Amino acid sequence: MRESTIMFFHYITAILIAITGLIHLLANNEPVIGAVIKANPVLYFGNMAVFLAALLYHAFNGVRVILIEMVPDRCWTKWISWAVLIVGIVTYAVGLQVLMVALGFA
Amino acid sequence: MASEEAKEYVLPPEVLEETMRASEELWKPVRKIKFRIYKYNPKKDYAPHWEEHELEVSRGMTVLDALLIIKGEMDHSLGVRYSCRMGLCGSCAMMINGKQMLACQTRVLEAAGNGDVVELRPLDNFPVERDLAADFTSFFEKHKSVKPWIIRNDDIELNNPTGPYKQTVDEYARYYQFTDCIKCGACLSACPTAATDYEYLGPQALAQAYRYMVDTRDDGLDVRIPIVDTEHGCWRCHFAASCSDVCPRGVDPAQGIQLLKRLLIKRKFGYKPHKPAEALPAKVKAEKKE
Repeated sequence: MRESTIMFFHYITAILIAITGLIHLLANNEPVIGAVIKANPVLYFGNMAVFLAALLYHAFNGVRVILIEMVPDRCWTKWISWAVLIVGIVTYAVGLQVLMVALGFA
Repeated sequence: MASEEAKEYVLPPEVLEETMRASEELWKPVRKIKFRIYKYNPKKDYAPHWEEHELEVSRGMTVLDALLIIKGEMDHSLGVRYSCRMGLCGSCAMMINGKQMLACQTRVLEAAGNGDVVELRPLDNFPVERDLAADFTSFFEKHKSVKPWIIRNDDIELNNPTGPYKQTVDEYARYYQFTDCIKCGACLSACPTAATDYEYLGPQALAQAYRYMVDTRDDGLDVRIPIVDTEHGCWRCHFAASCSDVCPRGVDPAQGIQLLKRLLIKRKFGYKPHKPAEALPAKVKAEKKE
């Protein structure tokens, strides 16, 4: 994948974090809107799943960029990208399971 | 008749006298400045060290003038690179009191400010060739890697040019400022990303890539994209903009890199900034018919 594609998704996930994060905050801090959002648990779970995915992509891509700059050797660049991708997927799987348990889907 | 005309251009004696007096004033020693100079020859020295020389400086004296006096009269072994002495070649860029500047464009008193010490060392983020001369090998390799020349697909016109390529003033204005680059290396030296990531292409090469990608005479957009759109390409710029801050020619490489990023994203959606300019269409068509 080209670096521009990765960075394009980096910017897209930043917007997604702002939107889904706002929904998450409203659901837990605003009684009226919160009740409406939580009335549909599947939609709320969907929002949280997207929020977690966007957050992890954005955060782990940030870590990847820092590591690439700190270890600029080209042979390490590929390894760093793959390592971060695997850690990201594992973290997402664990996070999704926690969400499912917390929201009563499992 | 000719001598009469020539007489008109002779300066009046009082103006001439005033000019001479101002010139003398400019070069009259006014202050003693201590030059703290970085000395290191990687082939001989185990570690770098500093040497100090004191010099009476005048108001018009540049750092390069002072260095040449030091080299001529105090330390013949001093390594310093220079050529044009008027800010056009970019050879004499160095760290003057911690900032990237051209030695030929910086007056000693301006660099010293209220102090009496001027510290000189080679450009940061560059290997040292000797003393104040930095090694530009990697810098020029990066510059060359972005193919800083016009790329065309019309071989007939390219090999047998029939005339200049058409380009409007607006099209020229898109990249004009980046043509002012003198490759002095000040931007790469000031770049915080280049300080850690030695594979990073750097502001100079990336701004030059953008300069050619938006040049209407060029048709190499898709040839340069794989070069600049990498892990160590334009996306590693964090927009500190120190490159633009130190550029002695007033070029804004940071802006060039941001525009390059935008161009890459737009290209993903099929956008092309221009069609390659044609050279005198009638003649090209006539040649193709042949």
